[in-house]
Amino acid sequence: MNINGVAIDDTFAEAFGMRATRILITALDLKWAYHAARAATGFATSVIGCGCEAGIERELSPDETPDGRPGLAVLLFAVSDKELAKQVERRVGQCVLTAPTSAAFSGIAGEPVNMGKNLRFFGDGYQNSKLIGGRRYWRIPVMDGEFLCEETTGMVRAVGGGNFLVFAHGQVEALAACEAAITAMSKVPGVIMPFPGGVVRSGSKVGSKYKTLTASTNDAFCPTLRGAVKSELSPDESAVLEIVIDGLTETDVRTAMRAGIAAVCQAGSSGGVLRISAGNYGGKLGKFHFKLHDLLK
Amino acid sequence: MSALTFTLRAVPPYCVDVSPLIPDRLAGLSKAAIEKIAIGNHGLRVDDLFAVRGEDTRQLIIRDSSDRLNRIGTGMTQGTVLVEGDCGAYTGLGMRGGRIVVTGNAGPLAGSGMTAGGIEIRGNAGDFLGGALAGDKQGMRGGNIVVHGNAGDRTADRMRRGLILIGGDAGAYCGSHMLAGTVLVSGHVGTMPGFALKRGTVLLARQPRELPATFQESGEHALLFLTLLENELRRESERFGRFLPLGNRVRRYCGDLANGATGEILVFV
Repeated sequence: MNINGVAIDDTFAEAFGMRATRILITALDLKWAYHAARAATGFATSVIGCGCEAGIERELSPDETPDGRPGLAVLLFAVSDKELAKQVERRVGQCVLTAPTSAAFSGIAGEPVNMGKNLRFFGDGYQNSKLIGGRRYWRIPVMDGEFLCEETTGMVRAVGGGNFLVFAHGQVEALAACEAAITAMSKVPGVIMPFPGGVVRSGSKVGSKYKTLTASTNDAFCPTLRGAVKSELSPDESAVLEIVIDGLTETDVRTAMRAGIAAVCQAGSSGGVLRISAGNYGGKLGKFHFKLHDLLK
Repeated sequence: MSALTFTLRAVPPYCVDVSPLIPDRLAGLSKAAIEKIAIGNHGLRVDDLFAVRGEDTRQLIIRDSSDRLNRIGTGMTQGTVLVEGDCGAYTGLGMRGGRIVVTGNAGPLAGSGMTAGGIEIRGNAGDFLGGALAGDKQGMRGGNIVVHGNAGDRTADRMRRGLILIGGDAGAYCGSHMLAGTVLVSGHVGTMPGFALKRGTVLLARQPRELPATFQESGEHALLFLTLLENELRRESERFGRFLPLGNRVRRYCGDLANGATGEILVFV
């Protein structure tokens, strides 16, 4: 398959079942909602080292938030119920509770995961709860007034690790194509691209020559190792970037991948993009397979 | 199907416990069986007191009601009870769902011990609205009560959870010994509001002339939970519209300092 001069490999992206939640973070204005949301979703690129993968899903207008203020929807993905619960409490407690004027609400229905339930104890006995519309909110006194936080957020089964790889003549071309892809994918609801700017350059393979490491650089895709290892790169391909996608449903991931690949192909070979591929583990580890050719039919 | 209607034949010379007349208890019964149900402590049957018409046991109407009829809607979990006229004490006692509408006045202890559902009183409510029975540790424990008129003394006494909205005035000791929940008074409130309040919120539309000495002002604040409450009221604007808009800017008085200082009286500014 070839679109606009870009070769599409006949392969598939392999993704995994995860647990996810959506949290709505509001503040006095969007600027402070961003401060809180960026902090809460920071250091959350990969479950391997961060405990969860997280990102800002989209901006919310005042009429979309429970408290009528501007806000952001953030998504958090983890490998287990327990880990997700730990990450929600830790991130809301350290990054949202601490941010001036902020409030946190559940943004999805699902199995309840504690959010404000234990954070309330920060109130040292002066915390109060209100049960409004069947949902419990905690009012925790803080130095700028009150931090309002819903007791729980909803946890759902989700899909993590959807991906595709962009092969280009050089770094600049690969990055420009990926930026276009991220712009297109950011409009898809229910997904995040958890790496910095949505793009990852350090694709990994399972295992390492060092026994303590479970993953290491994917040498077959490193252009500077051509000649030293069995390379997967053609002579023209001097830079590879990857976009990883986590979504609330398989359809969300599929839609985002399709939008992203279409944006990359729009740059075409004239934009220095040569090939698109995807990462997998032979289909043995992940439950979800996204075949590139099927996506683009 | 038309609503099952109980028309009071004559005002009884004594108070009568009509707690069996709830949708849960009457479901599946024939008109004849309903007429034979014993009510009160004076050997009365339903048909001694009421003329019964209609068949839909999910919708009950008590017509020409009187303040001699106690315990209307006690323990109900579903359906509606429309009381045309006044009702006596303990209306909605321990109710767990459904809805009661009283077009007249309600006696004392309406909504005591209720855990869910809604009561609407279009006239005035008596003392201990949503309050605790003598000896009970908790009054209302969930659901909501709307009073269009005034409420008596000790409104929300020992209330544990839920929402009480009063369109008119409330008597003395409003929110006394309250454990949690929210009471809103649109009119004036009597002496000693929030007496021995442990937790919970007494919301006042008007600044009271005097507050107990054990409440201390903590300034003017915009509280987000009031926005959530207002949004929730808007969802049922047919019932709660008269209390809107609510606003979220209040003067906060924390107290009762003699009882932990974790409750509050909020006065809209």
